[in-house]
Amino acid sequence: MEGLSPLVWSVVRAHRLSDADAHEVYQTAWFRFAQHLGRIREPGKAGAWLASTARHECLKVIRSSQRLTLTDDPQLLDRVSEDGTPEQSLLDSEEAAAQSERVRRLWQEFEELGERCRQLLRVLMATPPPSYQDVSAALGIAVGSIGPLRQRCLRRLRARLEARGAM
Amino acid sequence: MNDDVFDEDGWDDEEFDAGLLEEELRQAAAVLDPVPAELQQLAVDAYALHDLDARVAELTFDSLVDALPVRGAGDVPRMLTFRAGEMTVDVEVTGHGLMGQVLPPQPARIEVLWGPRPGSSLTADDLGRFTADAPPPGPFALRLRTGGDVVVTEWMRA
Repeated sequence: MEGLSPLVWSVVRAHRLSDADAHEVYQTAWFRFAQHLGRIREPGKAGAWLASTARHECLKVIRSSQRLTLTDDPQLLDRVSEDGTPEQSLLDSEEAAAQSERVRRLWQEFEELGERCRQLLRVLMATPPPSYQDVSAALGIAVGSIGPLRQRCLRRLRARLEARGAM
Repeated sequence: MNDDVFDEDGWDDEEFDAGLLEEELRQAAAVLDPVPAELQQLAVDAYALHDLDARVAELTFDSLVDALPVRGAGDVPRMLTFRAGEMTVDVEVTGHGLMGQVLPPQPARIEVLWGPRPGSSLTADDLGRFTADAPPPGPFALRLRTGGDVVVTEWMRA
């Protein structure tokens, strides 16, 4: 079940909570999951259960405080070039440096997408890829609309990358 | 920022490998925004919280969701109500601590849990009232023993 960690984290990140709030929501979702284990009879539904719980807690945080802090893009991007981080090993060869630059640009363009696309893609990029049921639970959108939205958001992202000459 | 994804954006419907781009995003997320290691571990440790002996008291009222905000009121206490069968637990959380009452009124031994570690202990008096001097530092649950009954409130982020 801990294989669902990236899904829960993605849901929290999709809602742009501060680090402290993100950690607490993540914890709350897992603690409650453990508490209700006996009642979640179909293992296939665990992802949707966790995603939905995380989403509701995210909405409560947003409602309670308005201290919705935007994740700082430069801060995230800095991590690529920070010394001593695991990512540093990416820079160890020129080829890796080019790859790292591509990842950085991709992330930057992703962060600058409209809020709806950014949210959807942040959840879709969890590892392993979440089912549409999980995505629906994570974002409160109909399963049937996810496919077309996904296609459109990814196309939009590609267009941004092309405009920047990054593809 | 244009947020209307339903808008026609002038792109023809030329197919491209959306799956490939999504996979690149997945790899980027794994590098730039991975699950923090301590949270990864927490998902494993959380299993210790699965409590076969206890009944879960579900959240039935949360002032954050079910009450209208008071205009201009700054530090409004969070009011929570949990219910398991006949038993109700009202909890008020402020910056100073917890206050609550078990209903129907009865004495109880209460443990304040804040994760898969032993929590701090409280006692509810004959009227079921209890207080804690410190607010929970993060997500919390109350484990109540009354007579032969054990009840745990749903985990909440205060």
